[in-house]
Amino acid sequence: MTATTFSARLKRNLPGTLNRTLTVLLSILLGVLVGSLIMIYYGFDPIQIYSSLLQGAFLSEKGRFVTIQRATPLIFTAIASALAFRTGVFNVGVEGQFFIGAITATYIGYAVKLPMIIHLPLTLFFGFLGGAAWAYIPTLMRQKLGVSEIITTIMTNYIATNLVSYLCNYPMKAKPTVAETPFVQPTATLPQFIDFNPQLGRGTQANVGIFIAIAVVIIMWYVFKRTKVGYEWRLVGLSSAFSEFSGINLTRTFIGGMLVSGGIAGLGGAVEILGVWRRYKDLFALGFGFKGNLAALLGGQTILGSGFAALFYGGMESGALDLSFTMGVPRQLIDIVVGMIIFFMAAEGIWDFTKKIKWARDEQVRRTTENLEV
Amino acid sequence: MDFEVITDILMRYVFNIANMQGMLRLATPIVLAGLCALITDRAGILNIAGEGMILFGAWTAVAGSYFYHSPIVGLMAAIASGLIVSGLFALFSLKFRANIIVMGIAINIFATSSTIFLTRAVFKVAGSFSSPDLIGFYPIQIPLIKDIPILGELLSGYTFPVYLTWLLVFLTWVFLYRTPWGLHLRAVGENPQAAETLGINVGMIRFLAVMASGVFAALAGVYLSLGDLIGYTDQMSAGRGFIGMAVNTFAGGAPVGVFLSSLLFGFIDKIGGRLQAENIFPIYFINMLPYLITLLALTYFTIRKTRMARAKVAKIKHEKVPA
Repeated sequence: MTATTFSARLKRNLPGTLNRTLTVLLSILLGVLVGSLIMIYYGFDPIQIYSSLLQGAFLSEKGRFVTIQRATPLIFTAIASALAFRTGVFNVGVEGQFFIGAITATYIGYAVKLPMIIHLPLTLFFGFLGGAAWAYIPTLMRQKLGVSEIITTIMTNYIATNLVSYLCNYPMKAKPTVAETPFVQPTATLPQFIDFNPQLGRGTQANVGIFIAIAVVIIMWYVFKRTKVGYEWRLVGLSSAFSEFSGINLTRTFIGGMLVSGGIAGLGGAVEILGVWRRYKDLFALGFGFKGNLAALLGGQTILGSGFAALFYGGMESGALDLSFTMGVPRQLIDIVVGMIIFFMAAEGIWDFTKKIKWARDEQVRRTTENLEV
Repeated sequence: MDFEVITDILMRYVFNIANMQGMLRLATPIVLAGLCALITDRAGILNIAGEGMILFGAWTAVAGSYFYHSPIVGLMAAIASGLIVSGLFALFSLKFRANIIVMGIAINIFATSSTIFLTRAVFKVAGSFSSPDLIGFYPIQIPLIKDIPILGELLSGYTFPVYLTWLLVFLTWVFLYRTPWGLHLRAVGENPQAAETLGINVGMIRFLAVMASGVFAALAGVYLSLGDLIGYTDQMSAGRGFIGMAVNTFAGGAPVGVFLSSLLFGFIDKIGGRLQAENIFPIYFINMLPYLITLLALTYFTIRKTRMARAKVAKIKHEKVPA
């Protein structure tokens, strides 16, 4: 990209981008519309619901902090899934890696005594390591035996949740009555905003983990856009056959993609424990991995997109929380709407008619070249 | 402890009639989930949406039975829901080119949240629903068989979906290996390009396979909510869609194999429940066993397969040398 100016690039990429934006907007519109129909059918007022949803998510002081708290783990799992999907690795095991990261971090958090400056990074690192190690099982099976990682990651999810439940119900149990581990040492906790200023995010557990999440987004975005490894990952994700032809080591990219993806998921588990819960509670967070998968899909499987989608999803969850308190609307309505949006977004075929619009006609060809640009 | 005592304990606590009946009962939804995975797997599609379809099936079965006071209506409603969900799934992923894994994940999450929502909106309760108006399937005593000493207890006295499942295993086997359509389906799964050149409509076969998987999954849901315990609980599919995938992988895509390995998992489930109840063994290890066994089996079978392939190559090489 040495010779092309910014405007030339823009001119060339604009049709594709416009088209994609259009399909995303249409999908959201359709999802919201179908969601409204469901709401009307069950006697809720959609306009009121959507507006108080936004109110609860982004416009109120407390809502914003709940959004941050909810979005933090989702950003990790979303980035983990997006990274895997873009690398052509179907890591459906984000859920399990999240749990293993969480329990590893808990153990290092309460069993080790060190000054904070070493303890906290060490704990986070072990969270990452736990997730990556868990992701290594399906990786190994794919590499050594050629078993599809989709099946094995699903299997390891269930093994992980049961294993972790066992650990906090038996060997790591603190009190005989409750299924939870001891609290982590204060030296391993991530400060909540409320610790800095009692007015900041009162009544929420929003914590500095969000900054780690943002850092991960930026780092992964940089890796994908500006480094050789990221370029190889993207290339393999687009066409593994072509990449092998051009001399990329598929084994290495697969292992790399899987382990980094698992590690980020594990780090997310660690951050959630150290920032919000401070101990491992049995089944504290079922579904973060799957929701991360959804957020990654919502974000078009790009790094930045997934980050924003996770934030959005966190916001919707926080808004829905408010909604079920005040209006008695089931929280699940939001998942239904988001699910709809994803159905419409994922189904490229229903948007074929947009390609007939003049500025989008050559989109198909462009999309490939555009993705490959460094 | 001598041999007789051990066999006595085994007979009394492990291989008794109650356990066997429990095994057959617990295996039923797994068999159906396994068939759901099997039919798509043999058509070359990785369908991970079974979990969600089971949930939809269970919910609509309850709704149908509750409003019309008849389990048959529930069954019909569930089959209809299975057809609709799987039809949409097939339409989006096969026709509109949505990634099938993506769609599968989306359907599963969608199913979880919409059934929870529907339970609240329609039955006005949260968590679980049960009512005297909800009519499940009654156990059927088979006239002649029920009088045979042990076999009678083993084979008779289950509800209709159980017998339907047994029948479906047989029918699936007949379909796959004894009909031209089954041959086409297997051809599509093994080599879609070759099948296409033979004039087989690959897209159509895959579409129908996904629809069939929807029906199997819905039936698994029917069994869960009306076939044994009657009532609906949020997320009552409890991973059975994925256990079905495990069972199918474990069985290598054979209907009878799916049935037998489901029995194995059902047996583990039953024994596990006993062990947990008597506080001998943590339930978590039992719950993870199906997945663990499948992983180990996958490892073992693949290693054996590659060894055999290598041995074959070596043999061919060896034979060619003298010539």
